[in-house]
Amino acid sequence: MKKKYFVPLLILWVIVLLAVVIFWHPNIIEQGGIMPPDTQNRTLSDTTLSTEQPCSNEHPEWRAAQIIEGINIEASQACQPDNPYEVATSVKGTNNVSMATLMQTDFAQDALMMNDDMDNDGDPDVIRIKLEVVELNGNNPEGNFLINTYDIAPGIQPGLWVYAPKSRGMAVKNFNSIVAAPILRAPSPTIRVEQGDKVFITLENTHYLPHTIHLHGVDHPWMTADGHDNDGTEEHAVFPGKSHTYEIQPRHTGSMLYHCHVQTAQHLMMGLSGLFVVEENKPNNWPQTFNIGAGQVRHRSVATAADYTQEYDLFYQSIDKSLARIIQDYSDPRLIAKRMSRNYNITESFENYFLLNGHSFPYTLRDSMIIAGDNETIKLRVANLQRSMVALHIHGHKATITAYDGVDIAENQQITRDVFDIAPAQRLDLSLKTVNNGLNSYGPGLWMFHDHVVTGTTTDGLEPGGNMAILAYSDLLDERGMPKMHDQLLSQLFNKDYYLKQQPIWQQGDFAKLLGDASAISINYFQLIIFGLSVGILSGLLIWVIARKKLKSQDR
Amino acid sequence: MKVFVMLSSLVLVASQNVSAGEHVGHHSGMMMDTKGMIMNANSDQLPRDCQKISETVDITVRAGQKYALKFNGKMFAFDQQQWDVKPCAKLNITFINDDQIRHQLMIHGLPGYLYPEGMFHLELNGAGELHASLIVPSQKKTYLVHCELPQHAEKGMKAQLKVDGGDSDLPNIPGITAATKEDIYPVEWTQTAFGLLLFSVLLGGMMPFLISRLKK
Repeated sequence: MKKKYFVPLLILWVIVLLAVVIFWHPNIIEQGGIMPPDTQNRTLSDTTLSTEQPCSNEHPEWRAAQIIEGINIEASQACQPDNPYEVATSVKGTNNVSMATLMQTDFAQDALMMNDDMDNDGDPDVIRIKLEVVELNGNNPEGNFLINTYDIAPGIQPGLWVYAPKSRGMAVKNFNSIVAAPILRAPSPTIRVEQGDKVFITLENTHYLPHTIHLHGVDHPWMTADGHDNDGTEEHAVFPGKSHTYEIQPRHTGSMLYHCHVQTAQHLMMGLSGLFVVEENKPNNWPQTFNIGAGQVRHRSVATAADYTQEYDLFYQSIDKSLARIIQDYSDPRLIAKRMSRNYNITESFENYFLLNGHSFPYTLRDSMIIAGDNETIKLRVANLQRSMVALHIHGHKATITAYDGVDIAENQQITRDVFDIAPAQRLDLSLKTVNNGLNSYGPGLWMFHDHVVTGTTTDGLEPGGNMAILAYSDLLDERGMPKMHDQLLSQLFNKDYYLKQQPIWQQGDFAKLLGDASAISINYFQLIIFGLSVGILSGLLIWVIARKKLKSQDR
Repeated sequence: MKVFVMLSSLVLVASQNVSAGEHVGHHSGMMMDTKGMIMNANSDQLPRDCQKISETVDITVRAGQKYALKFNGKMFAFDQQQWDVKPCAKLNITFINDDQIRHQLMIHGLPGYLYPEGMFHLELNGAGELHASLIVPSQKKTYLVHCELPQHAEKGMKAQLKVDGGDSDLPNIPGITAATKEDIYPVEWTQTAFGLLLFSVLLGGMMPFLISRLKK
């Protein structure tokens, strides 16, 4: 080849290669064209690994109505009924049940001491309650996994703090598990005492940050008998390893609260709050002191048993995932204290998870349904411990408000409606009638009930989730307490991948092809190779030209 | 089913000083009352690989928040983080809780035929003390000792029992080993540090010229 053609030929080559690079480059995204890509085909094997049984049915024997230690325990049709031994022990006290019964619970032997029938009416009147502070889904310095795990929904494990009845032994399910023992769960247990009882509530701070118990709305003196703090506010924090006893003898009945008042914004959002119910003083009245995980009260007080057929505690709370993460990202308490109190700014925060009785849908179906028969009158105690408002709506029913914040309303002033607005920290007592009369109830069904603030029915923005639950008429539940006729939906939702947002919402049935995920446009490998070669040759040429120039200049 | 032995009064009062293992008479017992519990104490059953007890060691383990003060970034701790004993040693353990909350002393990985689930477990519901014994096998091994309350071992209440020198060190033992997943802290970049770095870079850059000068 003649030397004079060399340079023009080189330039021509460069132009051609540049044209290839410019017009044939692969894209990140492309227009679909006449025939956009196909719908992704999901096979069953893609999902079986992350699916779980809607109901594992661990303790079917716990469902029936039964008598333990002489205590009547009402039936519970739920998938995960409350442990009846814990119910019985919560009624009689850890000091008044047999060792065999106590061993069926997770309670420490001094968790609940009940003594002294001061008014001689057949029930104990001096109650000593011990609470610990427990971290769930906490940091584990031994690896990239969390410890004392508690799933609020499939695969979702936000860091949580709860008050728990003083427990004993292992804080995990068994010795080679990292799952929290059943008594260690959200929400903090509902506590029930009788009006006029002398109640001593001891906070044993087993946690690594200071906490208190503030008895919100519960009749309590500002100071204890010996002049110590009894209001549980910030300046009287109970530090790690320390304990403090709050003393009450409540004169007024009703649905109240208890919560931590240290760094209140964050500590409330972390889960340190629970329902506190003062039951009317009646002869031979044995309220169920702890209702673990809230929900159905399987042993009701005398007053509630007289007026209602069932009673449920409904506890709403929300979680900001960025706050909850702090305790998972750091182990050093100093780093956690700084990140939580100073770096985190709650005025710039969001609520991502919405819980009813410690679970988000579909886990609410396991232990937070209201299960009713026809013609019942059910008492609901509803508390809102979210950061935002709750607008509770029960499909197919209109319930009646009987008390605001533990103060009864005269019957002629009670309001019957279908959306109940509950500001943060407020409580409503509702009377729910399942009388099929077109007003109180439209008849049997699997009726949803949920917060009608639309964020409330999502889990990190994904529907269906959040605090959605079901008011189920019992004939419509199967033998495991799960809704009948919902198998396909349940198998889709009891799935970690769904809540990781890795699955299309409508992935089954006739419309799967029409509403499933569109595939990506497949790569044209011929084009890709030509493009790659062109880039390679161009770069090579560039280096070659530079090297030649250098050599020439050195030659000179 | 485990054997439950209720203690009418206290196993916990120092003056009584009864070894719990002797009280139950055999290994697989559990004793519990309002002060705490003892599980799987063993003062007389020899492990299969031991002919006799090689040594009897009295160990006092104190648990409390104050013992974490000497370890940065912890909240709870035992007063010691490691114990070394001979193969087939008998340990008479006095477990003292200096806090107003519950603490545990659990030893894991023991032979299951003597200690169900491989566990020796003392638990104090509050301030107080417990006495119990155990006999370790002859194997050269490191046993995990911790309080299993949520975030107690994670925040420092973790130690190790080494038999015959032990076979390893466990992670996250305060003052002995680092965590597997360590926390990250900022490095203190002072003006002096920046200045020194700049000076070093300049000095380094001058090195070739200085050396070539010297050569000439």
